[in-house]
Amino acid sequence: MNEIPIKLTDIGLKYDDFTALDGVSFEVESGQTMALLGHNGAGKSSLIKIILGLITPSSGSVNIMGSQGKLSHHKHKINLGYLPEDVSFYDKLTGREVLNYFAALKRVRPTRVADLIDEFGLGYAQDRQLKTYSKGMKQRLGVAQAILSEPGILLLDEPTVGLDPQASKFLYGKINQLKQAGCAVVVSTHELSLVESHMDTALIMSKGRRLALGTSSELSAGSSIKTGIEFAELASWVERDHYLRRFFIDGRLQVESAQKQQMIKYLVSQCQIFDFTLHKPKLEDIYHDLMMHPLVDQSAQQ
Amino acid sequence: MNKLTSPVLIIAAKEICDCSRNHWMGFMGSIFLLLSLSVTFAGSAVTGSLYLPDLASLMSSLSTISVFIIPLAAILLSYDSFVGEDESGTLLLLLSYPLTRSQILCGKLLGHMTVMLLATGFSFGLTAILLLLIGEQYQASELIAAFAQFLLSSNLLALTFILFSYIVSLKSTEKAKAVGCLLLVWFLFVLIYDLLLLTILVSDLSFVNQYVVNILIALSPTDLYRAINLMAIDGGDARGSLAMISQSDWGLAGTYALMLSWIAVLSWISHGVFKRKRL
Repeated sequence: MNEIPIKLTDIGLKYDDFTALDGVSFEVESGQTMALLGHNGAGKSSLIKIILGLITPSSGSVNIMGSQGKLSHHKHKINLGYLPEDVSFYDKLTGREVLNYFAALKRVRPTRVADLIDEFGLGYAQDRQLKTYSKGMKQRLGVAQAILSEPGILLLDEPTVGLDPQASKFLYGKINQLKQAGCAVVVSTHELSLVESHMDTALIMSKGRRLALGTSSELSAGSSIKTGIEFAELASWVERDHYLRRFFIDGRLQVESAQKQQMIKYLVSQCQIFDFTLHKPKLEDIYHDLMMHPLVDQSAQQ
Repeated sequence: MNKLTSPVLIIAAKEICDCSRNHWMGFMGSIFLLLSLSVTFAGSAVTGSLYLPDLASLMSSLSTISVFIIPLAAILLSYDSFVGEDESGTLLLLLSYPLTRSQILCGKLLGHMTVMLLATGFSFGLTAILLLLIGEQYQASELIAAFAQFLLSSNLLALTFILFSYIVSLKSTEKAKAVGCLLLVWFLFVLIYDLLLLTILVSDLSFVNQYVVNILIALSPTDLYRAINLMAIDGGDARGSLAMISQSDWGLAGTYALMLSWIAVLSWISHGVFKRKRL
């Protein structure tokens, strides 16, 4: 088996004379979380709808759990969970009724609903109508809905928007559990600092095109953002060391990604400095850098 | 809900639950009941005395008022069926489930029809029971047959307007636009077209023969509803233009067939619009 759950190759999507997606390729393996990033209108939602089989791309190939071609014909066979952005479930129904409704549509056994209600800490409110739920409770219910069938693929569109840090932490905890169970997770989000520590790879989109794809390190290598290095008495070291002085900018050493190993080796072997702090570029910085200088990333895509 | 296995039945059960929770069923049932009891037991008050009308007059009066109220109730029941789910994000979610669009459409239709049937069945059924208990002049079989026919035609009329609502709801991007557009449909079909038809009938225009009248009736579900109910009571006490409607050559079965054709065409259009809906 070991087939790649999500594999999109050279996807194009056109509406009349508007190009929504242009030659986008990526894959997500089992047990991997991919962050889908990009500005509003970058094509993130279109990609999710293509994975869901709700729209057919104008060009390229879609392979979901081994099913190719027109996905609407295959979605009955694919075990997929989805949480739309800012979904508002049926206000007049209770939390338990909402989950029972979606469970029945997926032919999931009722005991699974009871388990999920407990797991997501909604037991005390399960018989209350949804109009009395807070945003965090609704979002927990939404994620519970998405994982009702213990899916092999989980697509989450802005799962943490409007949530407090505690609720966001809880949701990412659940996502990590699913990932460890072998689920391929795609999280579309604008909250880069939150997703950074939970993602394996990130796909950065802009204007329907892929700007970058890779792990944090790969993205960092493809961007022009430098890694910062700090240690005690750095200023005095810089004064007497010509080599270090070349990299001293704004109170710290700043090196290109490719030079990082060499610099660490120099500090350890030549300067006998073992206690230093590395400031890796944050995802947010890389994202902004790629948005500003998209061409820098072209090599990282290869 | 989780005892049901058919997606159509699951969706229908959820729609019924929604309608009972938002008090639509109770509210519209009460309106229908009030209307039905008023027409039946207080309708004669305008003549200066109180008496129970004969069956033909009663059914004629009930259908004359219902032709306005039932389409409006059907619109209020279903105007947000799709645009509401679209706005809240649940339509996209439902479509990601192992369901076909036909199943979603049929489930909603079955749910809304059941709600309509329960509301009209309770109110008009209770009126029929009271008449059976109180009114000695009515023959039980005739009364039951007349009310059953009235219920059937009323629900077919409701079904056409539920389907109109689905089409508008699928085409709309906002609930407010959907309800506005549907009120226009109601205004055109229930008030304007009806009034124009009656005007043509009484204006004695040279080209208006029974053939033209038949066509004009067939082109409006509300006039088909009027025709069905007038024919079912053999014209009753219909006078003037209403008598011309009751004389339509379609016959009762033909008029029902035309009503069913409306339903079939509207169902086909709804399905087509849903199938082509851009997500």
